[in-house]
Amino acid sequence: MANSTNIAPLSPGQLAFRRALRHGGFWTGGLIILVIVLAAIFAPLLTPYDPALQDLTQRYIPPVWSEKGTWDHILGTDNLGRDYFARVLYGTRISLGIGLLTLLISGTIGVSLGIAAGYWGGWPDLVINFLITIRLTLPVVLVALVVVALIGNSLTLLVLVIGLLLWDRFAIVVRSATQQVASREYITSARAIGSSTPRILFREILPNITGPLIVVASIEIAHAILLEAALSFLGLGVQPPQVSWGLMVAEAKSQLMFRPWMIAIPGAALVLLIFAINLVGDTVRDVTTPEGKA
Amino acid sequence: MTSDALIMRGVTRDYPVGTAFGRKQTLRALRGIDLTVGKGRTLGLVGESGCGKSTLAKILLGVEQASSGEVLVEGRPISGYGRLERAGLIQPVFQDPYSSLNPRMTVETLIAAPLAVRGIGDSALRRRRAREMAALVGLPDHLVSSYPSQLSGGQRQRVAIARALIGEPRILICDEPTSALDVSVQSQILNLLHRLKSELDLTMILISHNLAVVHHLADEVAVMYLGQIVESGPSAEVFARPRHPYTEALLKAVLPPRAGVRLPELGLEAEFPSPLRPPSGCAFHPRCRVADGLCAERAPERDGTNHSFRCHHPLGGGDQAAAMTTPETA
Amino acid sequence: MDGPILEVAGLRVDIPVDGSTLRPVRRVDLTVGRGETVAIVGESGCGKSLTALSIMGLLPRSARPSSDHVRLKGEDISKASPRRWRKLRGDRIAMIFQDPMTALDPCYRIGDQMVEILRQHRSISRSDAQARAVELLGKVGVPTPEERLSQFPHQLSGGLRQRVMIAMALLCEPELVIADEPTTALDVTIQAQILRLLRDIQRETGIGLVLITHDLGVVAGVADRIVVMYGGEVVETGTCDEVLGAPLHPYTEGLLRSIPVPGETRQGERLGFIPGVVPRQSGEQTSCGFLKRCPYAMAECAGGPVAIRDIAHGRGVRCLLPPDPGARDPGLWTRFETEEVAS
Repeated sequence: MANSTNIAPLSPGQLAFRRALRHGGFWTGGLIILVIVLAAIFAPLLTPYDPALQDLTQRYIPPVWSEKGTWDHILGTDNLGRDYFARVLYGTRISLGIGLLTLLISGTIGVSLGIAAGYWGGWPDLVINFLITIRLTLPVVLVALVVVALIGNSLTLLVLVIGLLLWDRFAIVVRSATQQVASREYITSARAIGSSTPRILFREILPNITGPLIVVASIEIAHAILLEAALSFLGLGVQPPQVSWGLMVAEAKSQLMFRPWMIAIPGAALVLLIFAINLVGDTVRDVTTPEGKA
Repeated sequence: MTSDALIMRGVTRDYPVGTAFGRKQTLRALRGIDLTVGKGRTLGLVGESGCGKSTLAKILLGVEQASSGEVLVEGRPISGYGRLERAGLIQPVFQDPYSSLNPRMTVETLIAAPLAVRGIGDSALRRRRAREMAALVGLPDHLVSSYPSQLSGGQRQRVAIARALIGEPRILICDEPTSALDVSVQSQILNLLHRLKSELDLTMILISHNLAVVHHLADEVAVMYLGQIVESGPSAEVFARPRHPYTEALLKAVLPPRAGVRLPELGLEAEFPSPLRPPSGCAFHPRCRVADGLCAERAPERDGTNHSFRCHHPLGGGDQAAAMTTPETA
Repeated sequence: MDGPILEVAGLRVDIPVDGSTLRPVRRVDLTVGRGETVAIVGESGCGKSLTALSIMGLLPRSARPSSDHVRLKGEDISKASPRRWRKLRGDRIAMIFQDPMTALDPCYRIGDQMVEILRQHRSISRSDAQARAVELLGKVGVPTPEERLSQFPHQLSGGLRQRVMIAMALLCEPELVIADEPTTALDVTIQAQILRLLRDIQRETGIGLVLITHDLGVVAGVADRIVVMYGGEVVETGTCDEVLGAPLHPYTEGLLRSIPVPGETRQGERLGFIPGVVPRQSGEQTSCGFLKRCPYAMAECAGGPVAIRDIAHGRGVRCLLPPDPGARDPGLWTRFETEEVAS
């Protein structure tokens, strides 16, 4: 640690991070995500209302910027008099939670399968490719519908279904990235010094595919959040009294012509979050690409 | 028990080459390799792309297995060694130091990796050893915490050499160790390898297409063509008196950077054949300037003991006599 | 008119990167006469390939070339319009690339690629173009040229592909051919054949040939004149025999001392080498570009950029040392232990 040279060498990861810091998209996206995450965590501090608390005397109050708006309910109230701002805030928790949990499941499945197929090739590759093909033939929404219809819905099931469905892109990208890395001589070199297979997979290959991995993760987390919203909208996702943005849109759909803000607000929240995630993903792609060529 | 570091007997290596619809074919990359390398000796393995020299290296490193034949390392079959045992004995230096070093690791970690893999010492000891190795190969101390992308080609190759040597292997396999480097850097690595092999009493296998490099380092030479060793013997003798026409052509193809040198006339016909469809008889006959009907019909046996060759019409030994004394085979 | 085919004066290429400017080519002057082979020699990063690309007008978009002039048969092409360039390239200047596998389009048959080039530049019928392609393939030693026309690049061996590349370069009878490391990707026995072919064709057709290579051995048998480049500058010029026989610039000398030659260097003999690494080419020069790596460096060398000195007609060197290689101590080249230099 006593390295006193002031030109301390930076790891490729640190270099990429430095480049990211100079990237406008990273700041914009990162800041939005940070705000949203903080809002989800500190939701009870940000609003005095319970998102499920009904107050039939306070129905359909428009947001503060319209003429009849009031500062008591910044974003107004819904058909049951529930505070819309509180609902958006608590909805963030569901969106982020589902996004992260499904990412954990789909990422683990996809990365394991992708690395196995890419590293070993041969029959594991054939089997895994077959699995990927099968997965790609399944229409995601339809399968989710069937499963939920058969088993009944719960948050756990929703996470499981989405997680078990969205691993295909991980597997495909990781497989080809692994193939590329595995053909490099440092992998042969690692085998020649007697490295065990887990060591090769986790110390040599995994760190060298983090770039594409993060990009896919950003796409898939956005995908999962959208899917949750879509399923909730169809009544097959999150169930009341829990709140979700998709559910909010669903409940407000009869008001589309009369109170469009009821749809626009959760919609805007969704768009903002997805946009921010994609911005960060794009940055990661930008800053990690040239490094492979160096 | 034996003083030979490495013995190969009749080693072959086949690759199945199949397409989705086509019939299965077999690519025979090695077609019966016999090879002996004495302890502390340096063998230069020469040949052009596709001759099987890299496959040979991979078999020695245990990255691939021979399809048939016997590989003995220090008197024991290579398959009898455990993964770590083998790694402690044989180490590689690869051609391209830009792809043989993991870009995500520091120089120190890279050099110490063989120790870490075998669980030798604690991390402090490993770091000290890595620094000692860096010093041994002439890598300045301030570079040990750098990443490969911050080093020049020559420096990277020094890292690769330090990493190969840290576990004190007995055999070093250098696969085109200088081909990816600039000329002025190449000579530094050659100097380094020469110093290390005598200092550490290493047995070395030097794989190269560049005969000047092999001439500079090797005690013995084996020339490969299409998966066979067509000529082998003490370096000085093979270079002075090549018996196989292919060796002669390779020697002539060395272009020395000297004034007044003319382009050599190699007398080679056609081009390297596909290993999928090796020519009949002597594999070299379609390109050979002295080939006749016999060469197309029957593959020549190995001839000579110390300096051996596979040719019906060896050079410099009186063609007619040699052709007639070719041993008949059943 | 029998003037030189190519005259390049004061060529430089700047590449802006991350706020600073790389200067990979700083000062290059080059003349290629009719029927002459000029070799540009140097190691990676010396600017030789960028020099070639800028003569061809094929620099990457980010690069900023500038020059006093680049004349092809008297016509200044440095400011030619893209339209004019399309006419010049392939017709009057042609290029042979290092790797024939990536330089040939894998999607098209050899014949189609050749006919395409001809029909681009000449009003010629398809069958005439094919006949010409067959004629040239035969000339560069491709066996059964008629059959090759319908083959795809991947069906040919490396040596044959390079022959096809050469034939394509010669299709329109260019005045100047630039060959960038034409044999580096080939096996040693093929290399000699391709070099011989290039030399024979050059003698026969009288084209000007610029051969770009890192391999001084390749140069020896083929080039008439040598231009040695280091750090984006021409550091030495002269005839092949002059430069290889009595190198004047310490860099050229160091290169020659670092190559083992069977029959000359003894086995295991300590080879000379050039200490240090190629410096990053940014900013303006304040000293001799080779200063930090030069074993003969003197105080004057740090004084400022060194101008090229004409020793004799066509013989120049960018060095302050007296042009007398005999007066130097060659032992200096082997005294270093590592490639680092004390800074």
